Amino acid sequence: MIKKIIFPLLILFLVFYETQANVDPNSKPLRHSISGKIRDLHSGEALLGATIFVKELKTGAVSDLYGNYSLTLDEGNYTLVYSYIGYQTIEKSILLNNDLKISIELDPQQHQLKEVEITSEKNDKNVVKPEMSTFRMDIKTIQRIPALMGEVDIIKAIQLLPGVQSAGEGSSGFSVRGGSPDQNLILLDEATVYNASHLMGFFSVFNNDAIKDVKLYKGDIPANYGGRLASVLDVRMNDGNSKKFEINGGIGIIASRLTVEGPIVKDRASFILSGRRTYADIFLPLSSNKALQNNSLYFYDLNAKANYRINDNNQIFLSGYFGRDVFKNNFAGMKWGNETATLRWNHLFTKQLFSNFSLIYSNYLYNLGTPAGNSNSFDWNSNLRDLGVKADFSYYLNTKNTIKFGASVIYHMFNPGQAKGTGEKTVFADVKVPNNYAFETGVYGNNEQKIGEHVTVKYGLRLSMFQNIGPGTVFHYDSTYTATDSSVYNAGVIYNTYIGVEPRLGLLYDFNSKHSVKASYARTNQYLQLAQNSTVGTPLDIWFPSSPNVKPQIADQIAVGYFRNFRKNTIETSVEAYYKWMKNVVDFKDFAQLLLNNKLEGEIRNGKAWSYGIEFLVRLNEEKINGWISYTYSRTFRQINDINDNNPYPAPYDKPNNISIVLNYVISKRFTVSANWVYATGAPVTFPTGRAEIGGKIVPIYSDRNQYRYQDYHRLDVSLTFFSKQVPGRKFNWDLNFSVYNAYNRHNTWSINFTQDNLDPNVTYAEKVYLFGIIPSITFNFHFNND
Amino acid sequence: MIRKILQIVLLALLTGACTEKIDITLDSTYTRLVVDGNIESDTGAYAIALTKSADYFSNEPVPRVVNALVWISSGTNTFLLHESKKGISGIYETDSNFAGYTGNTYTLHVELPEEIAGKSRFEASSFMPSVTHLDSIEAVFKPEMGRKGIWIIKLWAQEPGNESNFYMFNLYKNGKLLTDTITKKVVSEDKFFNGSYMNGVPVMYINNDHPWETIYPGDTIMLQMSGITKEYFEFINEVKQSGFNIPFFSGPPANVNGNVNNGGVGFFAAYSNSFAKAVVK
Repeated sequence: MIKKIIFPLLILFLVFYETQANVDPNSKPLRHSISGKIRDLHSGEALLGATIFVKELKTGAVSDLYGNYSLTLDEGNYTLVYSYIGYQTIEKSILLNNDLKISIELDPQQHQLKEVEITSEKNDKNVVKPEMSTFRMDIKTIQRIPALMGEVDIIKAIQLLPGVQSAGEGSSGFSVRGGSPDQNLILLDEATVYNASHLMGFFSVFNNDAIKDVKLYKGDIPANYGGRLASVLDVRMNDGNSKKFEINGGIGIIASRLTVEGPIVKDRASFILSGRRTYADIFLPLSSNKALQNNSLYFYDLNAKANYRINDNNQIFLSGYFGRDVFKNNFAGMKWGNETATLRWNHLFTKQLFSNFSLIYSNYLYNLGTPAGNSNSFDWNSNLRDLGVKADFSYYLNTKNTIKFGASVIYHMFNPGQAKGTGEKTVFADVKVPNNYAFETGVYGNNEQKIGEHVTVKYGLRLSMFQNIGPGTVFHYDSTYTATDSSVYNAGVIYNTYIGVEPRLGLLYDFNSKHSVKASYARTNQYLQLAQNSTVGTPLDIWFPSSPNVKPQIADQIAVGYFRNFRKNTIETSVEAYYKWMKNVVDFKDFAQLLLNNKLEGEIRNGKAWSYGIEFLVRLNEEKINGWISYTYSRTFRQINDINDNNPYPAPYDKPNNISIVLNYVISKRFTVSANWVYATGAPVTFPTGRAEIGGKIVPIYSDRNQYRYQDYHRLDVSLTFFSKQVPGRKFNWDLNFSVYNAYNRHNTWSINFTQDNLDPNVTYAEKVYLFGIIPSITFNFHFNND
Repeated sequence: MIRKILQIVLLALLTGACTEKIDITLDSTYTRLVVDGNIESDTGAYAIALTKSADYFSNEPVPRVVNALVWISSGTNTFLLHESKKGISGIYETDSNFAGYTGNTYTLHVELPEEIAGKSRFEASSFMPSVTHLDSIEAVFKPEMGRKGIWIIKLWAQEPGNESNFYMFNLYKNGKLLTDTITKKVVSEDKFFNGSYMNGVPVMYINNDHPWETIYPGDTIMLQMSGITKEYFEFINEVKQSGFNIPFFSGPPANVNGNVNNGGVGFFAAYSNSFAKAVVK
């Protein structure tokens, strides 16, 4: 149905665009382009999403992910306003009579005196960009949020946004607008991060010191992204200071961090190297619990990036991430982690045509085993590797049209699991779930087109293709999900192909840049999913592809919103409502066997899901106070064949009411205080309503799925940061952060267990498990530069 | 076994978690017939217990089902079960000379004097699989594991390679059954050692922490290895998981799948046994 509406619409737009472009070219005055790069004055770091506003035309542009911008205007005199939140605005008068190259370095405002509070009026992207359902945070915002054990975390910050739910207390998993955690595409410098958790999710893999910028797309997903239904979390690493050497570090109660960055060739090439490690296990030998004394439990990770600006038109970036979690005791050991690497070439073909070519590698692996040498020693490995190439182009045709197009191919290599005995006289035979392979291809095009004074439309299309390649074995299942026989395919044979047509549409009506209404529609296809039926997630992830037995998941989302800014754009407000339909959604049968199961596909149950909600957001960017306040009402349901007697049930992340308050108050130059308070309706859960006695045990008889709820969740975190005295030219600066997680010590439910009493086996009682009481912590951060 | 290790590993990461008793109000639910019993390949009187389900927090013994007509059929043979007159009610026993044969399928029939959930006739069928010969067993003490050490029971036997086999293990200490509730029984599939000689495969871990069930040097232990059906293997696993809710590994809670028709709950199992004894050193 939707397809039938969209295609004529798309054709209409294209035709309209054609006629627009063909209007009497001779009568037009000469046109020239202005292009360049926007950077931080002190670090040389590219600023992405900075605005360039042309005062006379009340139009402008936004810098891309590499800080590049391009504007094409009629010949004439103009005033350009360059601005970026947290930076001093620069105005530049120009005479445009040929193509201009203007690169700008903006000064972070914190070092400036108060009087520069000029016309930052043009930070009205929130209102005038035809983009909705997104939230961008720079790392400074994230760093001010009070955090568990003082370890500031991107994903924990994301979980505070309207429309985003945490998968569970302390978890790095998140649900966007009712989707599952595996429906989020998490990118670190364009490489997919398949498991963003450290330490079972209490920390994420993102080390703030190495991160520049984070953007979450909850809907209205641009055509250049594909592969997941619910969201894209695009995380960009710092390029490294190209002007001076800098050392940043932090010492916290459970982890320490150190980052070194600096120029390799001043203003041309720079690097950044950032590492961290937890040391909770160092204290384990002091534990009175003997069993814990020999445990080790830690994670470490490394981020590295280097870039080289060959000339104004060519820049090369090489970035990588390596992280491992390690857990070991006398009995068993476990290791897991991600590796990513991205090589990028940023090339400006002309002043209007920018491009970026990427080579991407990603690997998620885990290993579980017992010490070798015993007859029952074993070793269990699994991994998922990606190799990808990507080309993205931006064509800044004129102030009215920005065209983006590109293509990508990813080669996925799945090793779902292999367990084997390692002892000399092993008692185990090998168990291996066969590897499988797939190609995921995407081609897209998108135009953002201004029509008249008030209207901007965005229309794009992504064509995605997913192909299973041999060697592979495909089991055939009967109606009871029992494997009957199988087909075996040789290496290199493409034995299954899915093609997805994914239109992406957006509409903006702007009431004189004061307020606007927006609407969007996006279809997304997903070809990889996680075999995980716990709500929280473990390191033992098995991603499995679409295949002849597993159809691609498809989502259609529509959203409408109203956006209005106040007080010179320092207060942004919005209301967004959305409805999302998902089909071929994956769930698993009751008591599914997901690990080391070569007939995993027989455990899958398919169905549909739908979610809807309304999100209210007030975002503050005042001098003294910043942060946001949001309220969300949302619902999400599933109907899966063979589950809950085929009746619809609330999805695991259906938490209707949600409030987030995240505020940071600057008391003085040396003191800031931050607090956040979150409230969410308790997660849905299935409780027993009846009991049967079997084999001396009380066996529960359950209610319909997710008929009950946990207690409502709420929590207050506060933090106080004390900065060293700001002296210009001082090389060493520090700050001290005190934070309290769960300040009023609420025992939020993590799970509820029903236990049979040891003394009277007829008695059962409910027991709540909660993870954290009140947790105070202290972190010392330092910053050194050779200015 | 891997699942066990996984649980130990993951739970160790959660040592900081706290628990507290809470009050929850739960709805009532309708009553179901519950069947619990088995027959084996050895000669003896086997008992089937018939009870009714109750509300979860009823906190009293479940109601028993009396005066039911209960029989087992296999092919053309029929074996009538008699309601036991001693001890608790609702127990139906075979004659003491009953013995099942591997390869046969047995069907339990229940006819109730009063309907439960609108039904008065129920059936449950189970195939009786064979079991391999148990050559020997051994108990090995690992003082470094657990708080007070753990006894590992290892077995030696040839695993038949031709098919998927499922096993249940029970342990007796000096003639007394230690694995006396369904959740203490160990079940295993042959995935990891299909067709190989099981050369000291660990099948059971006895925790020295629990004095009432631990073993001491000089004790005579006997391992009972039973060949069970895949359905019964899954049933026991599901029962074990059904009361266990740690968000890390549990999927959403779900009702266990028994083999009783017409909405009945529980399992009627048939299995064959092989035994081995050892004196603990």
